[in-house]
Amino acid sequence: MDLKFLVVDDSVTMRRIVSNSLKNLGYEDFLEAGDGKEALSILAGDKSINFVITDWNMPVMSGLELIKAIRSDAALAKLPVLMVTTRGVKEDIIEALNAKVNNYIVKPFTPQVLKEKIEQCLVSV
Amino acid sequence: MKHSENMAQLFDRLNELKYLFHYGQKIIPIIQSLIDFMKDTVPMLENINTSIADSASKIPKAQNQIHDVTSATELATIEIMDIVDVISKDITNIEDNLRALIDKEEKKKEILTKLKIMMANNVQGKTLVDELDFEISSFNSLNHMLSIVQKTKNDAYNITIALQVQDITTQQLAAVNHLITSVQQRLASLVLELDDKDLYVEDPKLAKFQDTSTFNAEAKYEKDGTRQKLADSLIQKASQDEIDKLFS
Repeated sequence: MDLKFLVVDDSVTMRRIVSNSLKNLGYEDFLEAGDGKEALSILAGDKSINFVITDWNMPVMSGLELIKAIRSDAALAKLPVLMVTTRGVKEDIIEALNAKVNNYIVKPFTPQVLKEKIEQCLVSV
Repeated sequence: MKHSENMAQLFDRLNELKYLFHYGQKIIPIIQSLIDFMKDTVPMLENINTSIADSASKIPKAQNQIHDVTSATELATIEIMDIVDVISKDITNIEDNLRALIDKEEKKKEILTKLKIMMANNVQGKTLVDELDFEISSFNSLNHMLSIVQKTKNDAYNITIALQVQDITTQQLAAVNHLITSVQQRLASLVLELDDKDLYVEDPKLAKFQDTSTFNAEAKYEKDGTRQKLADSLIQKASQDEIDKLFS
């Protein structure tokens, strides 16, 4: 399966770290967005995106709101979404799970964890 | 009779007046010390008010300095990433060249092996082939170099991974800035209550600082994996619950 990622994070540094990590894992096809709203706009225009990696805390539209918007859109509902965030308390993780996130990474992540979670997401969908 | 009654009343009033003066003599020092206290307190209150206003007026500058630190750190991080990217590309080129050299070495080895078979009955030829083999054989050192290059490439990548600290620090600084904004708002309302005037800010441009950043105040640069383990266990539990629902 050819994967095309959408990396969503308001931090330029984090977008680049995630993108570099994807390249390192052999995934060359990805786009970037600075917030949830921009991500939704990209998703609406590019149907070939089949994996979303998103941060939680972002201006305009948060990662959590993005997941809810994806799940409520019939065309996007089954898209695998991996959250990569600094939020690591139980309540936050449960909130993300309730919003139907596929997997969850707490920053700072290791390349190994990113690889594992991407693979787990792909198995679960 | 009426006259004597009036006189008695007069003496009563005089006595009351006498007591009043007597009491007044006692209370005057107290009133005096109260006045003195008020005299001392008013400038002190004014001082407090001025100090609050002064401190609060400096807050936007502090906020902007924190904001500047965040921007500078982000810029520096991107510069580091650019350099690491260039290093990684160079290392990848070296790695590719080394692999090509190793391939050539393998071919040389194959040819030498064939030559050795051909020269099996030629003592002089065999000696020369062995000498050639000894002179050109750099196969092991090339492989060793390749492993060092691969390790260096991995180290360069790990520098990029460690730069996640910038995002985490940015969120921590944004949380501090948010806290400062709250303190400033409280101080501004105190100044308004005490002096009935808006907070003075040295540079009106600084007063326009908008705290629009989103952050997690609990962001931490922790690499022990405890929080990831918690996330993993909750996700596993959620997945198990989904499976249980399917079969119940």
